[in-house]
Amino acid sequence: MATPMIDPALFAELKSKIEEDSVVKKELDQIIDELNQNVAYTQGVLSRIHSTPRAKYPDLLSQIEDGIKQQVETVGKLATAASKHPYYKYNYKWTRMVQESISTILLCTWLGGSVSTQGKAAEDKAEVGRLLSLDNIGEIYHVPVNLKDRDAFHITIEEYLLGLINIIDDLSRLAMNSVTLGDNALAVQISSFIKDLHAGFQVLNLKNDILRKRVDSIKYAVKKVEDVVYDLSLRNLIPAKE
Amino acid sequence: MSGFKRDRQGNAKRFDGPKPAPKAPVVRNAYTPMFEHLRDELDAHHDRRDRIGKASRDITALSKKIIFSLQRVRKIDQELPQDIQTEIDTRLAEISKLLAAIAPEIQGINRHRYARSLMCLEELIEALTFAHYVRTQTLITHEQLSPVVEELSRKGAAPPEDEVMADAGADKPAAAQAAEVPVVSLTDDDYLYGVFDLTGEMMRFATTTSALTGKMASGDDNGEGSQRTIVEDMHDLGSFFEMLPLRSGNRIQWEKKLEVMRQSVQKVEKLGYDRMIRGSERPEGWMPDLTSTDQPGSPE
Repeated sequence: MATPMIDPALFAELKSKIEEDSVVKKELDQIIDELNQNVAYTQGVLSRIHSTPRAKYPDLLSQIEDGIKQQVETVGKLATAASKHPYYKYNYKWTRMVQESISTILLCTWLGGSVSTQGKAAEDKAEVGRLLSLDNIGEIYHVPVNLKDRDAFHITIEEYLLGLINIIDDLSRLAMNSVTLGDNALAVQISSFIKDLHAGFQVLNLKNDILRKRVDSIKYAVKKVEDVVYDLSLRNLIPAKE
Repeated sequence: MSGFKRDRQGNAKRFDGPKPAPKAPVVRNAYTPMFEHLRDELDAHHDRRDRIGKASRDITALSKKIIFSLQRVRKIDQELPQDIQTEIDTRLAEISKLLAAIAPEIQGINRHRYARSLMCLEELIEALTFAHYVRTQTLITHEQLSPVVEELSRKGAAPPEDEVMADAGADKPAAAQAAEVPVVSLTDDDYLYGVFDLTGEMMRFATTTSALTGKMASGDDNGEGSQRTIVEDMHDLGSFFEMLPLRSGNRIQWEKKLEVMRQSVQKVEKLGYDRMIRGSERPEGWMPDLTSTDQPGSPE
């Protein structure tokens, strides 16, 4: 029997497939790295909200919006590159970064920033307290969300929810700092927002996974803002509803 | 609150678990509808993953049984003994039903989404490659194997050919769609990791057969000298994996498998050496009391 144990063609085929795979990963890594830098910059600018009084938000927000614009551009590149391959094959590589990116957008718009496709001219005076939905996020990135019928880049429900949990922590910190800055109304507003979200997350049936772990952490943020509101009410510092 | 129920140990009884209690007073707020919508989507995902996971566990168990059956074979490069072939066929029939049931769930985008719940495919490939090796003393290629698995999932989905499909037939959407039956596809990783595990089975096989037959397993069509033995096959497989480029992704898993494979190769090497150096000390034709006719069912 002259048949060899291993068909030589098999080796060549597998080898080239593995090499292809590395090329793809390198390409994706490069884009994700770029996104990482965009996100880090935006987060850096965002961290200044803790020391910025509300009157000066517009200036700060426009800087944040610039950072977000870069992110949107990079996510666009990522979408183009990633859509050439099975989505969930490489999703693990960027999902973290995309979550962080989503948080910056959610936080920025919650603070009154307008991250629209057309630029910020339209509604510079947006209200504080706006929560974008998953669909809104998809519109901002120009990518589909929660895709089920075809295999392409999209934003998943998990990414949105995890991104949302990220901002809860930041907001609970802002509640304290806004009191320091004399903006008690903001602290109260944050408190009710976080409590609403907490109630919202209770609606989900969670499995024992990362989402569950992160959702469990929300209660600490709730506690933190409740303490702040308690301190305020004790001293009669809660502003009357207008 | 007064008058709560107690259980036999006297502990206060919760109503029905911790969950519903805070749920009852859930205040609906602006975000509740959004979360309810997302909950339904997530539930569908979790349920699907559970279904796949259950089938996967069953397929893994069945594949392992096939492997055990194959370990009872004593000769390679020839058709399997009838009883073993029958055992394997029965198991494969069960596997094909399970595959057919999950096939629709892992089409398109969902194939890689649930890849981690589909570890059974590795095990199945291990069983199939091992069966192929025992029969032909060659490694079945990815291309040859894919149609086999596709055929398995197709067979399980076709009720007319199989009367035992009473329940499995129910979860098929419509028998009319028989033309476009979704099939289970194999990824490169499934194949590679399955073949990795094959080396372990070959090592066990080589050890058992050489202990029981006094010969290194090899094809024995012609003269003994020219025949390739399982030692050479293991060396081939070993070099095969060593030459493949390192996977940049799950490097740790890859290297772990590689290490296990190296050990298997060396164990078989050692067997070959022992056979060569000590085999000649055995009287000509001496053999342990077990001959190659030992098969399941024999007193031993």
